[in-house]
This record gives sequence, C-alpha cells and structure tokens, in this order.
Amino acid sequence: MSDGIRLGLFYTIIRPEEKAILAAAEARGIPVVRLDDGVVTFGLDAPPDLPNVVLNRSVSHTRSVYAVRCFAHYGVPTVNSPSVVELAGDKILCSLRLAERRVPTPRTVVALSPEAAMRAIEQVGYPAVLKPAVGSWGRLMAKVDNAEDALQILEHKSALSSPIHSVFYVQEYIPKPDRDLRVLVVGDTVVAGMYRRSAEWRTNAARGGSVEAAPLSNELVDLSLRAAEAVGGGVLAVDLMESPDGLVVHEVNPTPEFKALTAATGVDIAGRIVEYTVGVARR
Amino acid sequence: MTNCPECDASVENRGMVLGEVFPCPDCGTELEVLANAPFAVQPAPKEAEDWGE
Repeated sequence: MSDGIRLGLFYTIIRPEEKAILAAAEARGIPVVRLDDGVVTFGLDAPPDLPNVVLNRSVSHTRSVYAVRCFAHYGVPTVNSPSVVELAGDKILCSLRLAERRVPTPRTVVALSPEAAMRAIEQVGYPAVLKPAVGSWGRLMAKVDNAEDALQILEHKSALSSPIHSVFYVQEYIPKPDRDLRVLVVGDTVVAGMYRRSAEWRTNAARGGSVEAAPLSNELVDLSLRAAEAVGGGVLAVDLMESPDGLVVHEVNPTPEFKALTAATGVDIAGRIVEYTVGVARR
Repeated sequence: MTNCPECDASVENRGMVLGEVFPCPDCGTELEVLANAPFAVQPAPKEAEDWGE
C-alpha cells in the first residue's frame, strides 16, 4: 500500500492511539517517520528527507498550529490541514463556524473580560457552562449554577496568569441524559460512534466515564458529517448531546483520542486513519 | 529492566515502544520510554494548559 509514501507522525507522547497508528502503518507496509514535537525544529527552507504526509497527533494546540503551518510551507500535506487545526482546536472559532453553517450547537456567548463574562453568564442563564477556549479532557470546565458561583469562578480564573484565561467561553447547560455521543468522522465517512456515560455532568472518557457503541442513526450520521465538513473535514471527533430539541454538536476535535471508541465498537480506527492519511498524500 | 527516576522501583519493558508513556507500577508516576536498548525511561512531559484533543 505504501507506493513509496512515508508517513510522518508528529506527536507529543506515544499513547495507545499513537501505538495503534504505528502498528497499523507497519501492518500496511508504510514507513513512518517519527517527529517528536519537543525535538523537531523548523527552518524557513524545507529540510531534506521530509515525509510525504504528516499525521498530526500532537496533544498541544499551540505546537499543532505552528507545526502544520510549517509542514504546509514545505509543501507537505497534513492531517488535519492547518485551517482545520486552527479552527477546530479553538472552541470559539469552532462555535462560530458551526453557527455559520447552521449546525445545531448550544447557545454560546464569548466575553473578553471578567466583567463582560458575568454579563455573558447572565445572558446564557443559569446553569451555564464555562469552558477554556483551547484544551480539553474536561479540565478547567465549570458548571455555574448561580451568581455567587459565577463571581467565585471568574475571580479564580482572573487570578490565573495565562491570557487565555481572560477569554471566556460561556455555553448554555444542556439538560441531557447521563450520556453524550462521540462520532468519529474520517474524510466523508462516519467510522464509529459511541455513548459516553457518567453520573457527573462531564462525560469525557478521559474523566473515567463508561462507553458503549451507539447506533449510527441517519440523523446522527448526517449531523456529524455536516459538523466535520463545516470545519473543513479530515479526521475529526464530533461530540454531540441529546437536548430536548434534538441533537446538538458541542465540540469538533481535530486530534481525537480513539482508544475507548475502538474498544466500544471494534472498528479498526487506527487503520482507517492511516489509510485516509496515505490517501491525502496521493492527492 | 531499569529504575523509576522517582521511586527507584524496577521497571520492566513489556513490549513498549520509543516515546510510549506508562505509569510506574510502584509509584504511579507517568514515565516515557527514552530508549529500548538499553531500556531507559524519564518522567513523562507534564500536561500543559493547551493539551487536549
């Protein structure tokens, strides 16, 4: 399958997902060039021996944004593309795009100071959810039940030094069942979907919720493909919630984890990602 | 076989690949495989604010 194609794996650490990707590439006879995001340097001229395509698996949004731009500068396509990484990796930009493409998404208000954030929370109404604009795994998310909570949380966030904490992404709290949905889209295909359950309001698998395969209804497939297409397409995990008014997309993740999804569905997700990535190199 | 840099416990290479992250069986510290021959590990990179999916 290689046809002389060498796949670059740009990574931070080797988790079960990256290990599965390395194994899937080896099984298909595709040589992999390992590119550690803490080691690689990027000059203005293309270095020799570049791979034909780079699969971005860096867990750092910042490193991902600059690295895929550099690879594009060298003429090396990446999965995902620079614009997708920038857009889907930033919850604010992603929400704007979903709204522009009329993909149902929770009501969202952005604020750029703690004072404005208080007004944003009041506009969204209680309970509201406060999320960091970048990063995930459910960290630094807060459910705000009343004005007292809001004041305390905003005070804490204001005390954090990073400028990203003075950008406030406020979303309506969706009264959903004790589960949400994750759907993996590869190119123009929905590859697998699962429910993530948790007694806690955050259902991220990284936080220890349980998972099970979800039936891929026409509505789920259609909405997931629309969400993936809205941000530019590629390898994307679409997270959805079952609101009283139907499915809503709350996140589109450009560097998805898929260990739990593989276990829940039995789908060879690493293999599908490798095959898609090689296909991008051939375009 | 090598030792955990945090607790000095013996750590065995059970088919791990370069760069793989795993918890020390004794102290739970996340370790990263630095080399396979000879087997060497270091504390895994600390999670940063912009880490995620």
